[in-house]
Amino acid sequence: MATDLGAIEAQLNQAFPGAVIDRDGDWLVIEASRLPTVAQYLRDEMGYDWLTHLSASDYPDRFEVVYNLYSSRPDQQGPGIPFKVRVPDKANPHVPSLTSIWKSADFQEREVWDMFGIRFDGHPNLKRILLWEGFAGHPLRKDWHEPYYEQEHKPFPSRWPHAQQPKPRSAEERVRWRANVQYPQGFDPDQWKPVPEIDVLPAAKIDLNGLETDQVYVNIGPQHPSTHGVLRMIVGLNGETVTSIYPVLGHLHRNHEKIGERNLWTGIIPYTDRLDYVCPMYNNFGYVVAVERLMGQEVPERAEYLRVIMGELTRVINHLLAIGFQFNELGAMFTPMIYAFTEREHVLDLFEEASGARMMVNYYRFGGVARDVSDDWLKRCRKVVDRLDRKIDEFDTMLSDNEIFIARARGVGAMSWQEMVNYGVTGPVLRSAGLKYDIRKVEPYSIYDTFDFEVPTFETGDIYDRYRQRMAEARESVKILRQALDRIPARGPIQAGKKPWNPKVPAGELYSRVEHPKGELGFYLVSDGGTNPYRYHVRSPSFVNLGALEAMSVGHLFADAIVILGSIDITLGEVDR
Amino acid sequence: MDWVTDFWIPVIKAIVVVLALLVGGAYMTWGERKLCARFQVRYGPNRAGPFGILQPLADAVKAIFKEEIVPHHVDKAIYLMSPGISFAAVLITFAVIPFGPQIDLLGRQIGLWIGDLQVGLLYLLAIAGLGSYGIVLGGWSSNNKYSLLGALRATAQMISYELPMGLALLSVVVLAGTLNLNRIVDFQGQWPLIVWQPLGFLIFFIAILAESNRSPFDLPETENELISGFMTEYGGIKFALYFIAEYTAMVVNSAIVATLFLGGWKWPAVLSNLHPLAGVALFLAKVLVVLFLYVWVRASCPRVRYDKFMRFCWKFLMPLAWVNLAVTAVIVALI
Amino acid sequence: MLEMAIFSILAVVAVTAGIAVIAQRNVVHSALFLLVHFCCLAGLYILLNAQFLAMTQLIVYAGAVVVLFLFVVMLLGLERARELPDPRRYQWIVGSLLGMLWVAALIWALFPQAAQTAPALTRSDNVRQIGAALLTDFAIPFELTALVLLVAVIGSLVLAKKKLEG
Repeated sequence: MATDLGAIEAQLNQAFPGAVIDRDGDWLVIEASRLPTVAQYLRDEMGYDWLTHLSASDYPDRFEVVYNLYSSRPDQQGPGIPFKVRVPDKANPHVPSLTSIWKSADFQEREVWDMFGIRFDGHPNLKRILLWEGFAGHPLRKDWHEPYYEQEHKPFPSRWPHAQQPKPRSAEERVRWRANVQYPQGFDPDQWKPVPEIDVLPAAKIDLNGLETDQVYVNIGPQHPSTHGVLRMIVGLNGETVTSIYPVLGHLHRNHEKIGERNLWTGIIPYTDRLDYVCPMYNNFGYVVAVERLMGQEVPERAEYLRVIMGELTRVINHLLAIGFQFNELGAMFTPMIYAFTEREHVLDLFEEASGARMMVNYYRFGGVARDVSDDWLKRCRKVVDRLDRKIDEFDTMLSDNEIFIARARGVGAMSWQEMVNYGVTGPVLRSAGLKYDIRKVEPYSIYDTFDFEVPTFETGDIYDRYRQRMAEARESVKILRQALDRIPARGPIQAGKKPWNPKVPAGELYSRVEHPKGELGFYLVSDGGTNPYRYHVRSPSFVNLGALEAMSVGHLFADAIVILGSIDITLGEVDR
Repeated sequence: MDWVTDFWIPVIKAIVVVLALLVGGAYMTWGERKLCARFQVRYGPNRAGPFGILQPLADAVKAIFKEEIVPHHVDKAIYLMSPGISFAAVLITFAVIPFGPQIDLLGRQIGLWIGDLQVGLLYLLAIAGLGSYGIVLGGWSSNNKYSLLGALRATAQMISYELPMGLALLSVVVLAGTLNLNRIVDFQGQWPLIVWQPLGFLIFFIAILAESNRSPFDLPETENELISGFMTEYGGIKFALYFIAEYTAMVVNSAIVATLFLGGWKWPAVLSNLHPLAGVALFLAKVLVVLFLYVWVRASCPRVRYDKFMRFCWKFLMPLAWVNLAVTAVIVALI
Repeated sequence: MLEMAIFSILAVVAVTAGIAVIAQRNVVHSALFLLVHFCCLAGLYILLNAQFLAMTQLIVYAGAVVVLFLFVVMLLGLERARELPDPRRYQWIVGSLLGMLWVAALIWALFPQAAQTAPALTRSDNVRQIGAALLTDFAIPFELTALVLLVAVIGSLVLAKKKLEG
């Protein structure tokens, strides 16, 4: 499934002799100092114009910054070019920034700086993004330990090894307060003052042709009725026109990735539920597919069908919910949102019966799914699918021609797909701007290649097109669901082999992506052959899509900025991780 | 001077009407929640009493017993005064609205209205203009960006929409030939004015939606952008005052619509002649119909964006109201 | 008697509010006292049976003019205005001269023989007469007023437009 890396390596070696210094499995290793020129060449000459994933990992002797390039060109969509840069200087790591080539590098490089302390030379605003300025250390480095650090990774030894003892001793008891907290040298927590935020705000004067007026900064969030969670945005306004948006992220940050590295491969599955809590099934899907690729695991047919059914049900409810919330932001007083929630309830009932939980489903397993479903469940699922089909039409009738909606949505937040690709935007938002790109089609996983469905696209990428895009995609999902329900084998195993509770994953490194309802959900995994991931990174669609918010909103009105945020459809659980 | 006719009867009428308005406003919150719930396929409040009928009471108790918080960056006097201004302006609007015929009570002729003002229609406009002060001052004195933006929007919106509203009222005046609301109701004994002034009715209804900051024109509040707009910094009983002022305003505005366009208590005369109280019942029924319209609109329309909303007023509604007035005037002059 | 009581209350409040308008340092408070003052005047008009005038007073002055004052005050940063030098340094000379003139006029008006006052209104339903008078006997002044307002509207439009283009 990989691209012909050899040919690309040869071409690069011809253009830049000595730039590709090594080949590490499926990854090209590029010399750090020549990274920008090589990247520019890859983008402009070879058509790999899409930097979707950028992260790093910490090895004992070096850092590695990894990049995944893909192409929007119809002939080379599909597998992309994975390459990496080695940074041997662990004391003072530096890598050239790619922000001048890809805007999508902005947030992701900031995240790498935040988590690993790797400086990106030339980054215009290299500040912490998920943690706060003043946080001590870079938590994804292997030598960083959290306050109640116990062991490098699970399975932990028993906290209650001698059962005679009266009570188990928790980590909080065993470790005294402050005894295991790392402070930087000379740091006194009692003297600590927050770093003033004023430096994030640009000069606060607007020159309006000789009329000097004040730039008004309005702070939206983290507690605000319409930021979809705890997102904070500092919005600069000239009158009511947006001049800048500075998202402040991380209010929901829990270092998902460190938790993952401490955890067992299987133990991560329930944690992925909490990423995008609107579509837990698909997060499971993405993670399980990634690990299976690493393991070379096969999945029985019935399980594949169940996965697709769950995944597509998730997609339909996500899109309906996104539309409902969109109207909520437009001030339609909850009515469409509650209609969408009604449909979601029916789907959640199905999830509950299949998995035991409504939201935190924990349903997928390596090589299968957790539980089988009954014939009756399939019958009811078909009913729900028919109902969803009807309800999508009902939404269409009620909302598509609403004049106020059209007046507010047409032309607002529009962006060309070329620009979106530069910002790394994926999913329905990108397709609504006209690029036919769906990972289910271009790099099929599971059994998506056996289904007959279209990838709808629209033209302008404005809010109205995003709405129509979600509607059209929900319809396609219903189509897939119908086919899946028709063809699912009546009986059969749902798990390949024994249920693995603690599998060892062969050593390797890969970036695997799936078409999550919100965009490209990628997992970058490094295994050292043990029972835990050595490095576990989530490339979440919401996080990267959010990077385009400012560019989409500047020049529009304050009211529109909120609606644009809603139309990108983010979930903060996934943004902040 | 006859103290009973000139003083006590008006005072008692005023007290009764104010109490009725308070109850009406409170129950409007309940009614709206119930109706919206039905529009949204849910139940709405149903815990406090049968059908949640005691919900407004529970809300009031909650609001009253909340801690009074006055943020220390506010202009205290104005901050505390503003909800009161809002509420008072709403209550005194009702003073000129006739809600029934003259009745015999204890040997006295009592008209079911508080003041029979010769310029009643102008009074409505005047008080509508005063009503915006509660919101403007509340927003300004809160010393908060959201509040100020809300207050500015409210001011611009209310001043702008007073014009089409006034023009729509002028068409009514041209037809009825009087500014007195009692005369206007009398004029509608045969047919309600909505028959002659369908366009005027629409313009007026849109304008009062905007005047009372109701969806889809609830721009001073716009919870999605401005959190709560001008009332962001208000809590407890002060918030409750704003809140009930808004709902009482809906009731009062509905009463105005019912009086001016739907024939008031009089139309259809067959029914209102049966019994004096039948007139009152007719009036109430019409008010409820308009209130239902209010909620219906709210539950089904997204909000209009601010600039489009102002453009709609000045570039569409105003010219339309002028044309409507001119056509009405020409027809009246010719007949 | 009731009328007398209402009149005294209104008169006292009106005068107090009038003084407060100029005594207040806070511009918003000044504007509010102006509002109170206008409302009292409207009340006095009603006592004089001039209902139409009272309502017009409320609509025009209370409903629009003071709101616009407030609008301007809110949009302009007042904190900044205090830092600027006062451009009206010699205003007090002109002001006191005009004030004296006004007091003189008032004293003159208090003598009953100086001017003939209009007869008190007996009916309050005088909208028709006002309308008729405005459009027949006083048609030219009425139209001239409209013209002045039109000029003002065009002037402000030109000013606003220039700022946007420039």
